[in-house]
Amino acid sequence: MLHTIIEEGLLDEKFIEERTEKFDAILEHCKDYSPERMAELTDVKPELIRKAARLYATSANSMILYGLGVTEHKGGTAGVIALANLVLATGHVGRPNNGINPLRGQNNVQGSCDMGTLPYIYPGYQDTDDQKVLERFARAWGVKALPKTKGLMEPQMYDAALDGSFKALYCVGYDPAHTQSNIEHVRKAMKAMDFVVVQDMFMTETAKLAHVVLPSACFYEKEGTFTSGERRVRKVNKVIPPRRSTKADWEIICLISQAMGYPMIYTSPEQIMTEVAALTPSYGGITYQGLGEDGKVWPCSSKQDPGTPLLHTKRFPRGRASFVPVSYIVPEEEADKDYPLVLITGRRLEHYNNGSMTRRCQGFDQIAGTELLEIHPDDARVLGIADGNTVRIESRRGSIKAVATVTERSKPGTVFMTFHFQDDLTNVLTSHGMDNKTLTPEYKVCAVRIRAIDRGH
Amino acid sequence: MAELIHITIDGKQVAAVKGQTILEAAAAAGIKIPTICHIKGEEASSNPCLLCMVEIEGLGRVRACATPAGDGQVIEVHNRDLDAFRKERLEVLAESHYGDCRAPCNLTCPGGINVQGYVNLIAKGEYLAALMLIKEKNPLPIAVGRVCPRFCETRCRRILLDEPIAINHLKRFVADHAREARFRDTEVGKPTGKKVAIIGGGPAGLSCAYFLRKQGHQVTIFEAEDKLGGLMRYGIPGYKLPNREVDREVQGILNLGVHARLGKRWGTDFTLQTLRDQGFDAIFIATGLSRQKQLELEGAGIARCGLNFLREVNMGAKPEIGDQVLIVGGGDIAVDSARSARRLGAKNVTVIYPRSRVELPAHQREIEEAEKEGVQFFLMATPLKIMKEDGQLKVEMARTILGEPDERGIRRPIPMPGSRLFWTGDTVISALGQEGDPTFHSYGELEASIALTPRNTIKAHPSTMKTSVDGIYAGGDAATGSRTVIQAVAGGRRAAESIHEYLTKERPSVLEPRFNFTKGKRFEDVDMHNFEGYELQLNEVMPARPAERRTGDFGEVQLGFSEEMAVREAKRCLQCGCLGLSKCSYREMCVDYKVKANKARTRLKYQVDKSHPFIVVDANKCIGCTRCVRSCKYDAFELDLTLDQKTGLIDDVSIKINQNCVSCGACVDVCPTGTLSKQDSVVPLLPAQLSSVKTVCTYCGTGCSIDVVHMYGAILEVKADPDRPPNFGHLCVKGRFGYSFYRNHERLRLPLVRYSVEEPFREVEWDEALRITAEKFLAIRDKFGPDSMGVLASSRCTNEENYLLQKLARAAWGTNNVDNCARV
Repeated sequence: MLHTIIEEGLLDEKFIEERTEKFDAILEHCKDYSPERMAELTDVKPELIRKAARLYATSANSMILYGLGVTEHKGGTAGVIALANLVLATGHVGRPNNGINPLRGQNNVQGSCDMGTLPYIYPGYQDTDDQKVLERFARAWGVKALPKTKGLMEPQMYDAALDGSFKALYCVGYDPAHTQSNIEHVRKAMKAMDFVVVQDMFMTETAKLAHVVLPSACFYEKEGTFTSGERRVRKVNKVIPPRRSTKADWEIICLISQAMGYPMIYTSPEQIMTEVAALTPSYGGITYQGLGEDGKVWPCSSKQDPGTPLLHTKRFPRGRASFVPVSYIVPEEEADKDYPLVLITGRRLEHYNNGSMTRRCQGFDQIAGTELLEIHPDDARVLGIADGNTVRIESRRGSIKAVATVTERSKPGTVFMTFHFQDDLTNVLTSHGMDNKTLTPEYKVCAVRIRAIDRGH
Repeated sequence: MAELIHITIDGKQVAAVKGQTILEAAAAAGIKIPTICHIKGEEASSNPCLLCMVEIEGLGRVRACATPAGDGQVIEVHNRDLDAFRKERLEVLAESHYGDCRAPCNLTCPGGINVQGYVNLIAKGEYLAALMLIKEKNPLPIAVGRVCPRFCETRCRRILLDEPIAINHLKRFVADHAREARFRDTEVGKPTGKKVAIIGGGPAGLSCAYFLRKQGHQVTIFEAEDKLGGLMRYGIPGYKLPNREVDREVQGILNLGVHARLGKRWGTDFTLQTLRDQGFDAIFIATGLSRQKQLELEGAGIARCGLNFLREVNMGAKPEIGDQVLIVGGGDIAVDSARSARRLGAKNVTVIYPRSRVELPAHQREIEEAEKEGVQFFLMATPLKIMKEDGQLKVEMARTILGEPDERGIRRPIPMPGSRLFWTGDTVISALGQEGDPTFHSYGELEASIALTPRNTIKAHPSTMKTSVDGIYAGGDAATGSRTVIQAVAGGRRAAESIHEYLTKERPSVLEPRFNFTKGKRFEDVDMHNFEGYELQLNEVMPARPAERRTGDFGEVQLGFSEEMAVREAKRCLQCGCLGLSKCSYREMCVDYKVKANKARTRLKYQVDKSHPFIVVDANKCIGCTRCVRSCKYDAFELDLTLDQKTGLIDDVSIKINQNCVSCGACVDVCPTGTLSKQDSVVPLLPAQLSSVKTVCTYCGTGCSIDVVHMYGAILEVKADPDRPPNFGHLCVKGRFGYSFYRNHERLRLPLVRYSVEEPFREVEWDEALRITAEKFLAIRDKFGPDSMGVLASSRCTNEENYLLQKLARAAWGTNNVDNCARV
């Protein structure tokens, strides 16, 4: 698309001039990426690519919303950078109804990252290498020093566990033994650990590998805040008391910390947010009272600050935005003679993530009770698979069953499955490939072969 | 800039924005114009309800929803003609409406309990919510769940199919379950500073105390006996209602902070005047009936008083009664005395009653149980004389026949001429029932001014329980004559409501309109087509101790339902009452315009369609507003209406939800009747009874606003406010229907621990789980260093929790090994 935009003179030259740098590198780089050449790789007709490019570039307002189909590739980061280049070249940013937004798979992806549950940042994306930041947090948290060593990202934890250097895991509200790719690897890693604590509502696949399982309250049963995809911090209110002996996650975390000798005493989530606001400039103005019914969009530096729904109006965080040339990154695994189809995994409307909640709601069984393998009629014909047949799907890592549904929703050569079901775990199959930078698994590309095992009646 | 114009609505000057409809302009000014079919922001209905008709001076009648407001318009919303027209329209709609607003069980219960609601909460496993729903009307479920004569079950529509729901056994189940769940109902209102005295600690007094405490009033019960409970303790035998259960019931009331002064007798220890002098702002008299009707025959003095006999037995005494016992009477006291006599060892126990079996005032169920225990009923017979002879008692008896009708047409039994029989035995118990006792009139001036009924009970207004003296109320048997526990409980509640209003001048928050569409008040009126497609399933039988064993002691006969039985039984409910009740603006308007419910159709026309996983379609209730079709964004809703052109009546309606449906549920929430309702939302509530909490949906990063409707710890449904961003009323299937996981039986209940992943888990208390967790983490950190450990946080948890997790890793443990599940 960028090739077309350059070729047809649809660039926002004023924006490029005033707000960006290193455009020349892109200019040169894009020459090699004609719609005709990309059509070979993507199977999207050159005319459609050109049409989309013109529509995007010439509309007064254009917005990019991208999902996990972009990020869950070995070249996921490259894909996002490519989109950013498109935004910068056309100036569709910093104004209402423009910009670029990821659509998240879970409700609080934004908030969990904002809060610093990443090894390389503190809350509000403050750098773990910044001495001033470390001093401020150490003072607030009443510790002499904070860790200097580089933290591990999740997939690195598994590798370290298999190396023998990673011994204990505390896993809260997450089911990697179900939803990580290539889960046999995850299972082995967890089994190699000395101690695994899982905190969840149900006996998940990960909980089955734990030494201690702590029963937690669900979101109807507790208070706090979520931050939506538009960075809107919103109040979550308690509707009903926790069932049975379950406790809110924040309470359990405090109890563990106290039992380990580090005082973490809060009487309410509101107190925690007060601490967050004091230590996190972008959340500085977030108070429960100030959130009201509609919440506030960060950055929000003070109580008087109404929040910032629109970013990058005058400048980017680094000043000028930089164009970064990116190239196509070949997936870890491609279809071949032995495994001739590409499996794409994703979601269905009816279920949420590992399905532990939605599979247990009344009525959901009826609308989406089992895993389905979506396969194109052409491929189905060649393989002798009819709609409703039970099929076996095999990859280099494992094999599972599913019911085939023959549909043109899948392109020839590709098949589609979700990962919502616990009986047959789709991620037994998925690739060990990961995005080079973020280590996001390559859920979207995995070579498989398929055969019917029960043709029904 | 929007151009401002001015209009007059019902005499009130209103500013409007040019381009607004009259309906919108009125709404913006806070004036409500009646409408059913209008949906904000959607096109007008193809079959307008016409309720929003208003009159514009000089122009005549127009539809407010389809007419732009114009500068200077003088508009009338309400006048006699318009309101008459609306009533007429609503009646036309009623003619094609068929269903029950409220279930017969609900309407029949003297306590007014939301029976269908609690039965269905039990079906969902929400036992504590069911209990609290019962306690909204009946704070004595432990007792009533054991002794209620079950008015509700006699009207249960399931009788037309097989057998009624065992409603009362379900009530007992939840009441007993609460003990196992260690549930305490102790929440009370803010102190009002008002004091109320209650005379008598029986069911009426306890019930009144409960409801007054819930409102925050200070309550003191004055009880003549040593313990609270009244007839529940001193009258009803332990094999039906054990004293320990009465203790539990009483304790529950006391736990609310109700004061009790025991052993204080009215007339001896206090009078109404002394209570007033002590600062009580209101008094409730609930002394019950302690006087028993006298036998009127020669030697009556030889007979023991049944009421006293039961009292002795209930207090643990074992009176000597011998082997042969004759009981005179046929009511509850007679049967209770007979069954107690068997338990005291009497071999031959005979109840003598001058009429036939069906006329016995005691409940037929009780009579059957008594017969199983060997009690004999000597019917159509009457004692004439009681004598002592040779150390034994001898009773001369006669068979009875019915005499000539008296002036009221009643044929009273009279001894059959020439009939003479003799009974010889050890004890005769007189059990003729209780009667009013006016003795209290002598206690003081205030007492003397309390009016009595001709039967010497206290005259109290049946709904306010007010006596003839201001600030003094009466209820229970003392006012009504001998009745059941649930009726006493209801009287106590009504008195509490009325006293609350008297003390605070506050009107009750939820007024239940009497208006009710019904599929038939009598069984014979109900269309049998309603039961097509249902399978026969007989009710659960209450486990009971066999008769030959239970007569050896006073232990409880009935053992209670197991959880499985209760859930199975509750699931038999036909859900007669409308599940669209809380959103039925049509009913509200029928009430406002005094529409007669008997205009409605009496036959079922369409089978109820339950094939959709989340939505129940009952076309019998459709009033043709078309809101459903217009709210559907997926072309999934097919509504075909055939109207009678002349009358506007709906001739035929067909509703189909097709393959395009994504189960977003928008149609259900906009339907203004019960035509569309939710499969899982099973508690029929009035609009004013709904309470919801606004929160944020958990199912994706959009962060939709949701309103979660809940009741006593149970979630009833999830809705969305059409006025709130970012979703403006829209939700997906997960947001609207994906909530019931919270009560799934697979929810983990306690922490689980094990030493290795090869062995099974054991359930432990939190303290132990936390200790093990902390010890193990500390040991690993000491041995391998903090970087040998890590935290995986959650993109599904709150910000606060994520913050704490990274703080735990960094500050408490000393590692940067913290990551979250954002990659999935």
